Amino acid sequence: MTRRMPFPAVFGAVLIALLFGCSAVSQSPSVPPKHPEDLPQGRVDCLECHENVSAGALKPYGTIRHSRVFIDSHGTYARQGQNLCASCHAPAFCQTCHARKEEMKPNTKMGDRPDRMAPHRGDYLITHRIDGRIDPGSCFRCHGNKNDVRCRQCHK
Amino acid sequence: MSGLILENEVIPNSALGVRMGHPTTVIPLGKRLLPVVVSITLLLPLLFAGTAPAADLSLSSKTYLRYYERESAGGNEDTFAPLYEYLSADATNLGGMPVAFHFYGWGRVDLGEETGTGKTSGDIGSLYLEYLHPQGNAQAKLGRFFLTEGAAMETLDGVFVKATTPLGLGVSVYGGAPVEDTILNGTREGSALYGGRVFFARAGFVELGASYLRENGTFQGGKDRELYGGDLWLRVAPSVDLTAQATYNRSVREMASQRYAVRIVPGATFDISAGYESYTYKGLFQSTLNPAFVFPALDNNDEVQTIFGVVDWAFLPGWTLEVAGKHIRHDESDPGDANRGEVGLRHTYNDKKDVAGISAAFVASDREENEYREVRGFATYSPEKIRLALDALMQRYQREIHGEKNTYQVVASAGYQVLPALQLSGDLTYTQSPNYDEDYAGLLRATLELGTTTGGKK
Repeated sequence: MTRRMPFPAVFGAVLIALLFGCSAVSQSPSVPPKHPEDLPQGRVDCLECHENVSAGALKPYGTIRHSRVFIDSHGTYARQGQNLCASCHAPAFCQTCHARKEEMKPNTKMGDRPDRMAPHRGDYLITHRIDGRIDPGSCFRCHGNKNDVRCRQCHK
Repeated sequence: MSGLILENEVIPNSALGVRMGHPTTVIPLGKRLLPVVVSITLLLPLLFAGTAPAADLSLSSKTYLRYYERESAGGNEDTFAPLYEYLSADATNLGGMPVAFHFYGWGRVDLGEETGTGKTSGDIGSLYLEYLHPQGNAQAKLGRFFLTEGAAMETLDGVFVKATTPLGLGVSVYGGAPVEDTILNGTREGSALYGGRVFFARAGFVELGASYLRENGTFQGGKDRELYGGDLWLRVAPSVDLTAQATYNRSVREMASQRYAVRIVPGATFDISAGYESYTYKGLFQSTLNPAFVFPALDNNDEVQTIFGVVDWAFLPGWTLEVAGKHIRHDESDPGDANRGEVGLRHTYNDKKDVAGISAAFVASDREENEYREVRGFATYSPEKIRLALDALMQRYQREIHGEKNTYQVVASAGYQVLPALQLSGDLTYTQSPNYDEDYAGLLRATLELGTTTGGKK
């Protein structure tokens, strides 16, 4: 089956979007590309300095507070926009875990940061058999189509 | 027609019982454009080279040397020593304009035996130019980037544009070549991916989005991936949020996934959320490139429904209690239903530089082989330029695996801040598990952080 690539349509849409954005973009100030002050070590609490609503995410800062609740559901917020995230986190921060090709587990890279929520601690080659059976959707988000050939040693 | 005929092969395999093949596979325009896109992305920053002093630059280098031994099938002891370099560079305010350049990638060289995929390996995770409009959070990206937008959570070689109007209506569009790796016989990576999202946002009150994604390819059933998505964040009362996220897979006419949650955040110390999520294997895994997500590894007719709750309570300054639980229900008796519970206590000290924590978790299931318990404790200590960390984990499986019921792992780490921008550290990991009678692994780490200005990037 031969497929025609829709790139002309895509780039046309992009062009229209660009024109649309330049002519009718909201005048509210954007979130800065980089947090203007140094961030302290460890987990940061935005509420120590910020109140009200974030200019980037358009949500109250309490919603962005990096509690366990937020960390468990951060994907829900990231799917509505990454500007506020990017103000404090470099792209490499996301890709420490969300890599399309990776050989080191996040907790191996961050052995000096046991406070971080890094998945796959312990001998996860053993435990993933159980976690993968009871909730394979949680595996799929990272391993569904961004794989390492090591998976193939068993999954043939 | 914009494709070059590559090959012609028939692959007799499909998870959904449909024979899939590649009668006439083409090199899509997206793939052919890749070198052009990468070249442009690399060269464009040179246009701003003359104004480099105005740019805000940061460079992060993390070098890891691992060391471990493994017994091969023949009974020999093989020594592995992979050397990894992770490099990221970010330059904002290029040429005094709201333009940024981002790079993230890694490479590996084996100093000992091959670690499984050749003596060397590596990947470019992101490499893109970004325009951030000063108003309305309008933005554009060009190159390779990780994108989460509506139904999309992709790494993409292409473009992304997003803008919001003064009324709060906004649109985002993206297109390019998906960056994927397949290890599934008979299914190749997608050839092109594009989509968009329209949304309405009112600051502090609501954001509602509808999205579309299409990836051309021969995924399960020999079909493209085609998703419709919806997302919602709604503040229904002071400190009470509703979130919703749903994706419909049009290719197989199934709901792929749904997640609905209510979250109460009354202040800076208490955060509670509860909700429901579900996904169908057929809908969610339709585009997989990994055999772990297709028959016979699992039954593609299964559906998962989960009820979950999470609490985060800073009951005293520096002390946080975390409690989480979920009930996971499967349509199929194998793997059956399961419950997971977890409670943890964290203490932050030393001017928030250090954290100690303990936690306990269990998984109870209809089937004994899916049950285990877990206990973990960790602590860090950072006096002056020294940083010490200790992390201990124990897991006990209800049913023996390879004749063993327990896994123990202890990670001890010590580091020293040699220079303000340079830290050296080392980890020693001890593991005893069904896989290892007794295993020691070492890691040396050098972290270099350089930047031209102050400001937050983590």
